[in-house]
Amino acid sequence: MMKTSKFAVAAVIASSLMIGGAAVAQDNEYRFVMVSHIGSNDPNMKWLTLSLDEFESRYPNVTTEYISTNNYSVQEHVRLLEQAISTKPDGIAVPIVSTDAFEGPLRSAVEQGIPVVAFNIPDSRPVGERIPYLTYVGGDEYLTGKKLGEFALAEAEAGNIPAPTGVVCASHDAAHQGLKARCQGMMDAMEGTGAAFEELFISAEPATARSTLQSYLQANPETNYIFTVASWSSPWAWGVANDMGLSPDVDNEGVTVITVDASPVALAGIKRGSVLATNSQGFWLQGYAPMEWLYWYHELGYEPQSDILTGPIIVDASNIDHWEALVRNIFGDAYDEQDTW
Amino acid sequence: MAAFETRTVAMPTIRKLARGSGVGAIAGVVAMLVAFTLIDFSGWWTIQTLSNVMHFASILALLAMGQALVIISKEIDLSVGSVYGLSGVTFISMQADLGVGGAMIAALIVATLCGLVQALAVVKGGLPSMIVTLGGLFAFRGIIYVWTGGSVRGFPEEARMHWLTRMFGGELFGIEAAFFWMLLVLAVLSLVLWATPFGNRLLATGGDAESAATRGVRTDRVKMGAFVMCSILAGCAGIVTLADQPQTHVTLGELLELESIAAAVIGGCLLSGGRGSLVGAVIGAFIVVSFRYELIALGAPSSWFITFVGIVLIIAVVFNQWLARWAGHNV
Repeated sequence: MMKTSKFAVAAVIASSLMIGGAAVAQDNEYRFVMVSHIGSNDPNMKWLTLSLDEFESRYPNVTTEYISTNNYSVQEHVRLLEQAISTKPDGIAVPIVSTDAFEGPLRSAVEQGIPVVAFNIPDSRPVGERIPYLTYVGGDEYLTGKKLGEFALAEAEAGNIPAPTGVVCASHDAAHQGLKARCQGMMDAMEGTGAAFEELFISAEPATARSTLQSYLQANPETNYIFTVASWSSPWAWGVANDMGLSPDVDNEGVTVITVDASPVALAGIKRGSVLATNSQGFWLQGYAPMEWLYWYHELGYEPQSDILTGPIIVDASNIDHWEALVRNIFGDAYDEQDTW
Repeated sequence: MAAFETRTVAMPTIRKLARGSGVGAIAGVVAMLVAFTLIDFSGWWTIQTLSNVMHFASILALLAMGQALVIISKEIDLSVGSVYGLSGVTFISMQADLGVGGAMIAALIVATLCGLVQALAVVKGGLPSMIVTLGGLFAFRGIIYVWTGGSVRGFPEEARMHWLTRMFGGELFGIEAAFFWMLLVLAVLSLVLWATPFGNRLLATGGDAESAATRGVRTDRVKMGAFVMCSILAGCAGIVTLADQPQTHVTLGELLELESIAAAVIGGCLLSGGRGSLVGAVIGAFIVVSFRYELIALGAPSSWFITFVGIVLIIAVVFNQWLARWAGHNV
């Protein structure tokens, strides 16, 4: 409830600031850098880069830069962050993928007077202990798993899907705190149902992931919910379960596949009845709002007093048409090309 | 006295057997199967388990056989995972314009070019293969990212049902096509290695390139052949994988270069060159995939697999080197 009200307040504040933004003098020049963990190999990058383009068009006195790497590692991300800090930008937006690795560089940036906004992944420690960034803008990884789990349980109670007997959280990155939090949320949602729960590292390589998941499902036949913490691995999970004759479509028998992100592949999965639900974490706003807050910090000295949650919003068969139209608008022709089902 | 005589006769026979570079892998797979039988008889010896393991072992074996050829020639190819990925992405992406057959040919041409470019840099440019193919690993992966923009397009239903797609990705008698393709490649390459001069030249080049050159072996051509064959096999593996399951991602093939090297080394290839076995590489792939399956089946965290591959790899290297020395090879 608390989180929901925070989200509502944040949305209102963000909207009012967007409207009010044009009224403020635009004399000062700023350069804000987003040092992201989302490379061009992840379709979600487009939400962020498009929102930065939109921000620049509304604030011509601000230059935004998007920096990321496709060969992701925490070390590489820290290196990019340190490079960005060394260029003395007027603000940095960064996901806190690893508190240990990011604490040093970000505290150093703040001490140099560079304001920092965390986006997409927060420092999960209490406010007094966490990295002293202005605010966090993004979804809540834990809530993503929890809300999707609760949604699945509600669907099971309504008789639309089977009740859970075993749940596997299939993750492609064993060291990613955000993905671990998603799994944890799902695990907590399933607590009390009596269903076994396992977090399984399947790797990001499709053939390896399929082999790993197939091995797991064979050894754990009670598993009937597969939660893929990346949308692009949901077709793999569905394919493996289908090959094994486990009836993975959304109905009241067999395996049920749940995934994350409002990406074309996840939405197409819901549309064809292969995926129960996914979530949107308001990606577009995660690009735009950090820039807004950095801008207002400089112009007006505003410092938000709470985190700004942009999701999760559950997407399922009931609202798929709305989300499909929205995402098609962002992805254009690429929407159909990214439907790998 | 009789016992002594038996021993003196038996020892040279065993020593002779140990000259075969795949013997270590055979011993390893026997030990592994005995262990799995004792630990998890009912879970391991099922048709589903063996089918799963053989399917993915076959894909890895295609990569490992190519890697074995390069390692025997005393080089290494770190780019096979990216070549596998790039070929697979070419196959999926070009299908709309070229059809299934044309896309397959395009994928194999891409793989061949990848191998050829790297081979030229190593052989003609005199650059270390580790550096050249490391560059290939990043460069080919980068091409995938740039080309696809982050996501590989879908493969339409009619293309999935095309006879060529089914031939490479379907099933025969309930067994995945990948297994038969792997056997075919193994048979053909074994024939090439043991029944044509290329085999001897490859071993000679890897064993002592200078000595081989003085005896008229064109070591540059031999190495180029090994690199190109390795890349073509990686391309074949990509096609076989995606013809079966075309739902893929830009991460296709990531880290498979390391698994292919592990499989080849476990299978008896020595990184010092001049010694290796295709059958051993196939068995090595089987061991790697089997360990992954069994660790998960036994409930170990799936990330432990990497640790176990590392341990098995080190044991295999030590054992294979000892075996080679014991058999009289100079390694």
